[in-house]
Amino acid sequence: MKLDPSFIWTAFVGLLPAIPTTLILTLVSVTCGFVIGTGTALARMYRIPVLAQIASGYVTFIRGTPMLVHLLLIYFSLPLLIDALSAQFDLGWNSAKVPMIAFAFVSFSITAGAYMSEVVRSGLMAIDRGQMEAALSVGMTVPQAIRRIVFPQAVAAALPNLTNSVIGMLHGSTLAFTVSVVDLNAKAQIVASTNWKYFEAYLAAAIIFWGLTIAIERIAAAIERRISLYSRGGVA
Amino acid sequence: MIRLSGIRKSFGRQEVLKGIDLHVGKGEVVAILGPSGSGKTTLLRCINYLEKPGEGEIRIGDQALDARRAGKKDVHALRRRSAMVFQQYNLFSHKTALENVMEGLVVVKKMSKDEARKRGIALLEKVGLGAKLDAYPSRLSGGQQQRVGIARALALEPEVILFDEPTSALDPELVGEVLAVIRRIAKEGITMIIVTHEMGFAQDVANRVVFMDEGVIVEEGPPAQLFGNPKEERTRQFLKRLTPEASYTI
Ligand SMILES: Nc1ncnc2c1ncn2[C@@H]1O[C@H](COP(=O)(O)OP(=O)(O)O)[C@@H](O)[C@H]1O
Ligand SMILES: [Mg+2]
Repeated sequence: MKLDPSFIWTAFVGLLPAIPTTLILTLVSVTCGFVIGTGTALARMYRIPVLAQIASGYVTFIRGTPMLVHLLLIYFSLPLLIDALSAQFDLGWNSAKVPMIAFAFVSFSITAGAYMSEVVRSGLMAIDRGQMEAALSVGMTVPQAIRRIVFPQAVAAALPNLTNSVIGMLHGSTLAFTVSVVDLNAKAQIVASTNWKYFEAYLAAAIIFWGLTIAIERIAAAIERRISLYSRGGVA
Repeated sequence: MIRLSGIRKSFGRQEVLKGIDLHVGKGEVVAILGPSGSGKTTLLRCINYLEKPGEGEIRIGDQALDARRAGKKDVHALRRRSAMVFQQYNLFSHKTALENVMEGLVVVKKMSKDEARKRGIALLEKVGLGAKLDAYPSRLSGGQQQRVGIARALALEPEVILFDEPTSALDPELVGEVLAVIRRIAKEGITMIIVTHEMGFAQDVANRVVFMDEGVIVEEGPPAQLFGNPKEERTRQFLKRLTPEASYTI
């Protein structure tokens, strides 16, 4: 194999336009995943009837099946659902008009939600019962106590694992190429195939992913320093 | 005033409270004594409804609640009439001393932040922590944390403050500062129920001492009588065991 170092640079430059796609895939799936995960974790933690069972089923199923399978299931089922709904209610929708990336958004959010719910749940479990009791004793309702006292501390406790989830989703977002979304990885393939220089192109992609990961870790570390100030004995 | 009637509580098959009747008048300070495991903590937690009694009635001020028919609203209304000072302090660990005191005022009493801040500062100064307003609990000693806990309870102006062994998690040299604060607020006519092992403290702060054992109130009376001339054999036994250990009380 002959390496063409200059093509690594060419590929690198060629890949840059795909970075926003990868970032938006990650951002959407992590944000929606966090919301879904929080709801799921709370439903299970506080044993809300029916919802808790649905939440458990969702988490077990999603964590028990590969992310790629979720994507394909969504990709093949969602259009049918959209067209059926549209026909039923005369909405004038058409699944063909839905951009491919939307399927990735939906599917990745569902995947991220299940993983992040476990992260949030372990954060919630790390918080001493006394915090909830103190909140109730000052007269808060349970939702107030969760929102103001328990949840913020749980997120702080879960931050390192949440960071791992974000990185996992960044890397997992490469699966989007299977539904023809041109993310970093797909772009690398395109760049490579025009010149048959696959190794160089994927090496450039790897370097960019690595850089993005380091950036996420840096940001997370900065947030962690601020948010968990209290646990290290700081003064406001 | 507070009136407990026939409070019962079981954990599984173990009956921990076997029908407690207790009346505490306005401005009265009642100390509860009793061996470990006799149900003192459980009783306080029932009054604050952190533990749901199996049966019985709890009345605080104008709010009465029957344990078997208590809805969420009643529980919430009852809780707002009492405040708890915990053995392990349980300060909100992500909030500063001042924020701990302000939290209930802003969230529950819907007080403006400015007003709550003023009140919080005044109360923290009162418990001797005017210099620690912005410190997080992890930066405070146990005694300081417990004093914040007391300020947090006072802020709510509850009808009664419940103290569960407020000094038993403290290093001996920190006990005094916390007891001094409680002594001071007792003089202000705030109704208090205090579970404690500090006999000397109970003797001069309480109007009445209640001795509990195995889920029942064995005996109650003014401190001079209960300590000086207990009627029940069980009380006598307990006091005899307690006395030698109470050497560091003030
Ligand atoms: N949440 C609980 N679950 C089961 N048993 C409990 C619980 N809380 C207290 N108990 C039991 O109830 C009894 C009384 O406990 P407690 O009220 O803490 O006593 P005290 O405060 O007088 O030491 C003890 O035997 C204790 O083990
Ligand atoms: Mg106890």
